[in-house]
Amino acid sequence: MDRHEELDELAAEFVLGALPAAERRDAILLMAGDAEFAALVKAWERRLVPLSLALEPVDAPPNIRGAVMKAIAGDRPDSSTIVALERNARAWRLATAAASAIAASLAAFIVFGSYSSQLPNQRYVAVLQAEGPGPGFLASIDLKSGNISVRTVGAEAQPGKSFELWALGGGRDKPQSLGVIDAAYRIPASKLGKIDPAILADTLFAVSLEPEGGSPTSQPTGPVLFTGKLVATD
Amino acid sequence: MIRARGVTLLSSPGRRLSSAQLVQLMGEVGRIGTMNTLAEPLDSELDGLLPLVATGDRLAFGRLYDLTSSKLFAVVRCILKKPELAEEALQEAFIKIWQRAASYEQGSIRPMGWLAAIARNQAIDIKRRVAERMSDGAVDIDDAGSISVLPEADLAMELSHLKKCLGQLPEERQDMVLLAYYQGWTRDELAAQFKKPATTIKTLLRRSLIVLKECLDGQA
Repeated sequence: MDRHEELDELAAEFVLGALPAAERRDAILLMAGDAEFAALVKAWERRLVPLSLALEPVDAPPNIRGAVMKAIAGDRPDSSTIVALERNARAWRLATAAASAIAASLAAFIVFGSYSSQLPNQRYVAVLQAEGPGPGFLASIDLKSGNISVRTVGAEAQPGKSFELWALGGGRDKPQSLGVIDAAYRIPASKLGKIDPAILADTLFAVSLEPEGGSPTSQPTGPVLFTGKLVATD
Repeated sequence: MIRARGVTLLSSPGRRLSSAQLVQLMGEVGRIGTMNTLAEPLDSELDGLLPLVATGDRLAFGRLYDLTSSKLFAVVRCILKKPELAEEALQEAFIKIWQRAASYEQGSIRPMGWLAAIARNQAIDIKRRVAERMSDGAVDIDDAGSISVLPEADLAMELSHLKKCLGQLPEERQDMVLLAYYQGWTRDELAAQFKKPATTIKTLLRRSLIVLKECLDGQA
């Protein structure tokens, strides 16, 4: 199955409503960072929406109208968060897609959801671009729980090899390992490196291919498959 | 004449339907034939309102709320049985609608569908959040029972297409698709209900969706 088919199946399951919580979160963030996936989701919404529209209306409790109007008082409709994010991600892709058509199809996404900050909706997305052949995947990090999950978007992992996630720059004098992505495409919280939120925006992320179990030297030893920086969402 | 009979047939008040019965109802709807008139004035008014909402027009937003809240409440109530959660979902959905009105692209989906998708997503997000809080990971199966379907069915054409396509699936798979769509059931919840492994459910759903896609796109 190619990446497009994989994305279409994910879009279908997402719109259908059958994705478990973690995968659903990944899909929502992927939608913000990947125009192709967002378009596939829209197509599925269009296909299935007659089911929603067939429902018999039910009057909402009258107090909700007032609560909604109060909530939006002093708030203006924005085109900021998601729209700006899409624009940034698109610009990022355009800038890098020219390098190689293959690389573009293998773009990987690392998505950071900052659920811990005072801005509950603030999200960080890093579009990680392939530098060589390798599977594309989507990773999301829940900073609050410290969990990283990774979803393959395309090929299988290579036998006898592991993917390792690194943080570079932001004042670091050498790459910092954020953890080895396990067979279930997760980095367990207990093994996840700490990221200082203050230097998050200046951090370059990279995924390298390492011997099974991760780099033996605590520094990258294998080819770097994906790299990317965070895209500010606001 | 046929249409009038069809509408009469379907307008018995307060029909409560299981998902399997829903498929049957869609069969009845299909017999109504070509009609789509009831939805169109609403759609065109919404198409007029959404650009105003995007500029921050609160009056337009209030009107939009009045036109659509009962429909969107029906959508979220299917997914969230607890009234306080359904109300939270509706409120959050309208706040999102206010914030995102600028991103509505006229012509890409009917406006009511765009609004319904926001409400549905909000409700499913809340359902997943609540499920995640249950530390034991237990699957909380809501009543699979009743979904109340609009008797007039202004969307007869589109519904009848969907019904024909759903009809290509075995009945059990139709139920899986409808339970996921209307009630936001996950693979795990469907697995418990249909007594099959979640991986099997995943495969069945994906195959079903491929059948639906080919069928629906073929009729477009």
